[in-house]
Amino acid sequence: MRVELRDVTKSFGAVTALRRVSFTLESGERVALLGPNGSGKSTLTRSLLGMLDCRGEILLDGLSPVADRARVAPRIAYVPQIAPRLAAPVREIVAAVARLRGLTRSAIEEIAAALELDLSACAARPFRSLSGGMRQKLGIALALASRPSLLLLDEPTASLDPRARQRFFELMETLAEKPTVLLASHRLDEIRHLVTRVLVLEDGVLTYDGSSRDYLGDHAQGVIEVLVDDEEVARWLAVHGFHCTGSGWWMRTVKNGQRLDLVQDLTTHLRHAVRDLVVRDVESIRIAKHDAKKEPTP
Amino acid sequence: MSAKNQFVAIARIELAEVLRSRWLWFCVGTYAVLCSIFVLVGLRESSVLGFTGMGRVLMSFSHALVLLLPLLGLSASGQVVNRMRDDGSLELWFSHPVTRGAFFAAISFVRIAVLVVPLAIVLPLLGVIGQVSFGQSVPWGFVTRTLVVASALLVVSVAIGLLVSTFVRNQSKALMLLLFTWALGVALLDFALVGLMLQWHVQPLLVFTLAALNPVQDARLALLAGADPELGQLGPVGFFLAQELGPTGLLVAGIAWPCVLGATCWWVTLQRFRRGDLV
Repeated sequence: MRVELRDVTKSFGAVTALRRVSFTLESGERVALLGPNGSGKSTLTRSLLGMLDCRGEILLDGLSPVADRARVAPRIAYVPQIAPRLAAPVREIVAAVARLRGLTRSAIEEIAAALELDLSACAARPFRSLSGGMRQKLGIALALASRPSLLLLDEPTASLDPRARQRFFELMETLAEKPTVLLASHRLDEIRHLVTRVLVLEDGVLTYDGSSRDYLGDHAQGVIEVLVDDEEVARWLAVHGFHCTGSGWWMRTVKNGQRLDLVQDLTTHLRHAVRDLVVRDVESIRIAKHDAKKEPTP
Repeated sequence: MSAKNQFVAIARIELAEVLRSRWLWFCVGTYAVLCSIFVLVGLRESSVLGFTGMGRVLMSFSHALVLLLPLLGLSASGQVVNRMRDDGSLELWFSHPVTRGAFFAAISFVRIAVLVVPLAIVLPLLGVIGQVSFGQSVPWGFVTRTLVVASALLVVSVAIGLLVSTFVRNQSKALMLLLFTWALGVALLDFALVGLMLQWHVQPLLVFTLAALNPVQDARLALLAGADPELGQLGPVGFFLAQELGPTGLLVAGIAWPCVLGATCWWVTLQRFRRGDLV
């Protein structure tokens, strides 16, 4: 599904949540929507779902999500970060969604099972009594079972354990249809696995639109930890920004785009002194205000 | 997916929610208590006191109904939409293919049904029980009139409640407004503020218009018109309207005006629900 936003503005009283936001997502494109809390990500997502009355124009394959809701809504699926705490049992919600979307229960169960959620076992439980992870798995199952053309994801793996997260990434890769994906997230692994392009919103303004690789190289950070048993290399490490954490381990935070060079330097200069080396992500992405690379399209 | 299927899916979820909240059972209990009093006191004493006693009891019953039903209707519907907005239900359901019209129609239908259906079952049922237990004839005409008028009053109350819950986002403010609406409906009855306004020499036309536009007053008069009331029971506005419209006219006004007002409120609310922000 092709998504076009033209000068979309949304205000809540005196607060303007979106200011003349314009961008286009081509059909099948996978894009991350980043921004600090209150930057307008949820407002944008809800606008695409036709829940908000905005100025400007939103077109989904040329149709309005509000005026043409009956035609557009069946092709959109949404996974919220925090599922509502409904008292209704799981079976009721599954039945209602299946009815609304014309799905079979088995189609939902199949995807839930792939995420290691046994729907039969929890059918009678109130939805709100499920753990955050189970609710999120159910939300993903309901969304993916509907085979959408546009998939809106709001931190879809925030409550999942690493195993279920990996299963979700695999599921996304095996989707028969290639939906357009808009992912609101701060999680590095979600962005790395799911998208190729990044949009950044700050105070309702689109401040960045570019490739995810470039964005992560500049904004995502990693940590390099190195264990050495040679006091002579300490000087080299200190000069290169490492600090000692005790027990012979030295660590340094580095931008993702620079860490490969640093590791190469490290292994070249300290090859004989290094006993162990760990390179890991800092999970959340720092989105500093006013570090825009590109002005929004007027 | 057809609007009918959307309606059915949302109505089922909403009905299950109402059943879980035990609201339906509260309504059944309230109606049962009220009707039991009617059966036990009204039918038993009518044989002793004759028509006058029965009329007095019917009047008390009618007053009890017109005080209670708007409160039930407003409280059943006055926090539906704003609560759904707050707890994320609207976001959940509108992320699926359901139109705003079908959704709103479904929740309106369920909220009216859970108030009207128990009354339609309990009132005749207790009438029959009274007949069997005490051997008295049941005034089926009055029972039918009560059911129809009460349903119209419930329709307008639910419609006003939905209007408040859609327009007022804050649940506490909505609750205050609902209580105020109920108090206004009760105050603009003959035996309350209207009587005082006439005593204070407020323009009679204004007072009569205000009272006549009050669906609670219209429902009260429609019920009392079936019990052949006197001036003292009807009040000045009621007596005037009874003279102008006659018993049939009062009945029609007591049914039609609440329905028209309810339909207008519902339509205005639907337009807002269709066009406004859902979350």
